[in-house]
Amino acid sequence: MLKVDKLMVFYENALAINELSIHINEGEIVGIIGSNSAGKTTLMNTISGLLLDTKLKEQRKGGERITIFGSVSFIGNDITNTWADERVKMGIVLSRERHPVFVESDVKENLKIASYLSPKNKFKEMLSFVYDLFPALVPLRKRKAGFLSGGEQQMLAIGMSLMVKPKLLLLDEPLLGLAPTIQVKLIESIVKIRKETNVTILICEQFARPVLPIIDRGYVLENGMLALEGTGNELFNNPEIKAAYFGV
Amino acid sequence: MFVYGLINSAVLALMALGFNLTFGISGIANFAYGAIYVVAGFITWAFINHLNLPYAVSAILTIIIIGIFGALVYKFIIKRIRGLVISEVIATFGISIILLELLRFIGLIGFKYSLPVFIDGSVEILGVYVDIQRLFIIGLGILVIISLYVFTHHTKTGLAFRGIAQEEHTSLSLGINPDRIASLSMGMGSALGAFAAIVILPLGTITVDSGYDVLINALSVCIVGGLGSTFGVIIASFIIGYTQTITAMYLAPHWTMIVSLFAILVILVIKPSGLLGHQKELEERV
Repeated sequence: MLKVDKLMVFYENALAINELSIHINEGEIVGIIGSNSAGKTTLMNTISGLLLDTKLKEQRKGGERITIFGSVSFIGNDITNTWADERVKMGIVLSRERHPVFVESDVKENLKIASYLSPKNKFKEMLSFVYDLFPALVPLRKRKAGFLSGGEQQMLAIGMSLMVKPKLLLLDEPLLGLAPTIQVKLIESIVKIRKETNVTILICEQFARPVLPIIDRGYVLENGMLALEGTGNELFNNPEIKAAYFGV
Repeated sequence: MFVYGLINSAVLALMALGFNLTFGISGIANFAYGAIYVVAGFITWAFINHLNLPYAVSAILTIIIIGIFGALVYKFIIKRIRGLVISEVIATFGISIILLELLRFIGLIGFKYSLPVFIDGSVEILGVYVDIQRLFIIGLGILVIISLYVFTHHTKTGLAFRGIAQEEHTSLSLGINPDRIASLSMGMGSALGAFAAIVILPLGTITVDSGYDVLINALSVCIVGGLGSTFGVIIASFIIGYTQTITAMYLAPHWTMIVSLFAILVILVIKPSGLLGHQKELEERV
């Protein structure tokens, strides 16, 4: 479904991603595991197209020079140079790192803004789907999103991405900064999302322990390079992963 | 005095709303706003007097033309320098000077350049006689504020406006194109400027210099109210509007321009984000 081929991304002369090739099949949950500065967020921004926007803005400012080599294709179309909003129309939706929601709007309004691309008559249906998925949001409907806790904001951010009815959902560090109990709840919701909507999911995460059991396949990134790949189980039982991520 | 202060406030609010809309959504300080205001006046005048179109038709045509003009300015000029605040200001201010001085060069000066009032006559309110045109200003000002509220809270485009205003990259990752929204907001801001011109200009003649005055007034109302906050604009236009009326009454009318400039100074010293600089409010509470 999605194919990233020999991707290289430079910030000035620093190499963020080095000849990375990954592929995602339809219906899978794929995980990308890596520590800080492994290139996870850069990869997500490249797949979703946000990096092109950042690149253009930096170019105007005369700031950081961002260079992208390699190609990204989605359902047979080359999308390496496609603008982010076009990619959303094709079905690639990103839920960004650190859940940046619209803090001045209340929860329901956030979801309303998110449904910009989907038809108006589907709004109620999608809204109740999101509320079913995250019942914790229901009593907070009228609260400004800026006053929610980190976990609630993360649920809202994922809910917002779902409002667009994605074919490929990209989750950038959904567990970052959350309490372990909430991490478990979110992971359950992610499994439920796949079961109910059949959406393909790509998760980037540094917390390998909760993520590895639910993914079909996983890639391990290290300094922008592919270090390991395998099924979720293989990775879970790999001694090196255990040493590096579980502290065993 | 009460009534005239109210009218003056409504005038200021109408002038500032267009500027505020563009700035609040896309962060572009449209310094060509005053020029657009004056140009709108002249276009309407030309439609009425040269093409003999009815007043209502010329007004609507002008608003549409100016709206498209604003969007095109974004598309061909601002888009290239988006995100560089100083360049945006220089570019829009350049456009403003070109337009205004061109009008002066052509020689559009004189008492014949004025727009007719909507309905002639006056009524007595609280012991003073008030032109019906001035009542129109208050009424239409309220109408514009209400319709802006409805637009930004209940339509898809309006909600997208608010999304872009808050988190550009999140909006982009939800499929909202910032350039499209910014050019729309620039178009709508300019159209609101044209609307204000058509409503306010019948009170006097159309002069090139009023372009600069309008810009300063709009700017000071927006800065005092907190850039980007509609409610702040309303409060600030009341404060500045009444101060101007009182100044004109007890000092002399030519002191009124100082009020807006002085207001900018005072607010920047006391509370730089403005009375209701809403982006900051949340940060302070959390």
